Amino acid sequence: MNKYYALYKELSKIENNGRKIGLFRTICSIFGGCFLSYLAMTLLVFLLPGTVGESLTVPIVFHTIVWAMCSLWISIALTKWIALMRVFVPSFIFSILLVIFYNL
Amino acid sequence: MNQSIQKEASRQGNQRLLRVHVVVGITFSLFMYISVFFGIFAIVLPYISAWEKPSKHYAMPDIRNINYSAMIDPVLADPDYPMINGVQIRLPGYRGNPSLTIYAPFTQRRIFNPNTNEEVKNEGKQSQLARFLNHMHYGRPLKDFGYWLFGFVAVAGLFLVVGGLVLVIVKKFNNTGKNAQSRFSKWHRKIFTWVFPPFIIITLTGALMNIGWTMSMPMTYVVSKGETFQEWKLTDPVLFPALPRIEKKNDIVPMLKMNELIKRAQEINPDINFNKIILINWKDSSAQAKLEGYNPYMPFLNGISNDPSVTLKGIDGSLISQNKVMDKHWSGLIYDSMMFLHKLFGVDTFTRFFVVFIMLISAFALGFGVLLWLEKKAKVFPKDIPVYQGMGKLSLAVMIGVIPATGLLFVLQWILPFDMQDRFLLQKGMFAVFWIATYTWACYKINSYETAKQFLKIAAVFFVISPFLHFYSSGFSPVRLWNENMGNILGVDIGLFIFALILFYVSVKLPSSREEAQKFWTRIL
Repeated sequence: MNKYYALYKELSKIENNGRKIGLFRTICSIFGGCFLSYLAMTLLVFLLPGTVGESLTVPIVFHTIVWAMCSLWISIALTKWIALMRVFVPSFIFSILLVIFYNL
Repeated sequence: MNQSIQKEASRQGNQRLLRVHVVVGITFSLFMYISVFFGIFAIVLPYISAWEKPSKHYAMPDIRNINYSAMIDPVLADPDYPMINGVQIRLPGYRGNPSLTIYAPFTQRRIFNPNTNEEVKNEGKQSQLARFLNHMHYGRPLKDFGYWLFGFVAVAGLFLVVGGLVLVIVKKFNNTGKNAQSRFSKWHRKIFTWVFPPFIIITLTGALMNIGWTMSMPMTYVVSKGETFQEWKLTDPVLFPALPRIEKKNDIVPMLKMNELIKRAQEINPDINFNKIILINWKDSSAQAKLEGYNPYMPFLNGISNDPSVTLKGIDGSLISQNKVMDKHWSGLIYDSMMFLHKLFGVDTFTRFFVVFIMLISAFALGFGVLLWLEKKAKVFPKDIPVYQGMGKLSLAVMIGVIPATGLLFVLQWILPFDMQDRFLLQKGMFAVFWIATYTWACYKINSYETAKQFLKIAAVFFVISPFLHFYSSGFSPVRLWNENMGNILGVDIGLFIFALILFYVSVKLPSSREEAQKFWTRIL
């Protein structure tokens, strides 16, 4: 338990300045941003009215810009921990909702 | 305590915002520049594709008095012409193409000159200049890797536009700096704050076409609840609905003449410029003709997936059904409104050149972004020594070196004979070799300013001789082109000539040392 707490402490340390982005944030931002926006857009297909074929186009069209926005939002997080949470918390919520909609 | 953390968070947030913009920007700048540079040629693609082919050297016909029957009816009258899978006819004016094309699946395309109603022989794969310029625009020469690369570059572009907008809003930039670096920064910001709305839409649709559809597989699987991976199976019935299958009556009856058919359709919906006819069960008594077109009074809403159409009976031309622009499902209308600005199908010359202008200044803004970064790197060295820097040399070869390399493509188009074996391979191969050679030369020369001037001068030479080579090799003098109403082809020649003059003027005016450069940029920007 102590080890995990140490890891959390390490990740949530505030850096001296924001002049270095670092590999951790880069990966969180590119892949996490893609994952998060993808889940959001998949959810949007379920939320839009109409048949699947009718509501699929618009989320596919806008996925890339939502990806870019999510990546930006994640990459400017204050600490690595916040960046990680910005990936996982919304992704977790969207996943739960997707599971519900899938089985509806 | 809490307040100081908030202050620190906002300080670091701003720093990261700028840093991430710089890092992503410099990483993808050259790819974005290539995409924009060749994109400008792709916008004028209809003109270049008429210029490059001897078989397309005829006037753009007047749509109102073309004798369609004289070209189409003899082909359809041939009892051996396969009509079992339907026949597609592209009328003159379809995506800027002056010719008339008749096509049945698994047959050779039949192409006609609508001025003389005679069949012409196309150069086919021997002449692919416009096609190649378009392929360079989206990474096609590198196949799947290119698609993914340029698609990802487009996403990075969106990231930069969004991040840049946030930066301009939250951070106070001042425009009063007296050195080159601050001038680059000023114009980089200024231009992109002007052009970001169209730029964002064009980048978004670019990303969609390269990776959006491919990446949608898991999404399709989830939303169809495990039914299919292929998104087009779900979206095509909405975006591109298939033609209904009609039972044949198995008899042969005389069909209405094409001229009559097009006249009927025009009477039913006079707003549409008809450019495509699809014939189903032709010559059978169940025959139908679907006439599709573009409604120029409703730009942004039709032309990509949404083609307003009129379906007529083949025997007597009576109306079966018609689709107006607003009959499309809203998702199709949104799709069309986004894609319209990228594809520019059916738009007039003025709009086309307006988009060229937007993209041209975007290319400059991209260049200023790179120059800003390079200037920052060079600032640490004293003014009197030239700076030799890897990224600088690479950007020089990619951004300036591409201009003479493209000029070579235009020169080779009319130097190489059209019946030459592997003509196109040689053309694009020499383009690639020349482009790489510019990188060698850029690395060999120490003074990048001098090299840039040389590249621009070579480009000016290539671009200035290509119209003359065209006049000589095609046998069409400028006077003849003008007299025979080929303004679109003469326009390309004049455009190339003026482009060459501008390049020459720029190459003379550009500075040739770091000290001069500081004065030059602070004077003109």
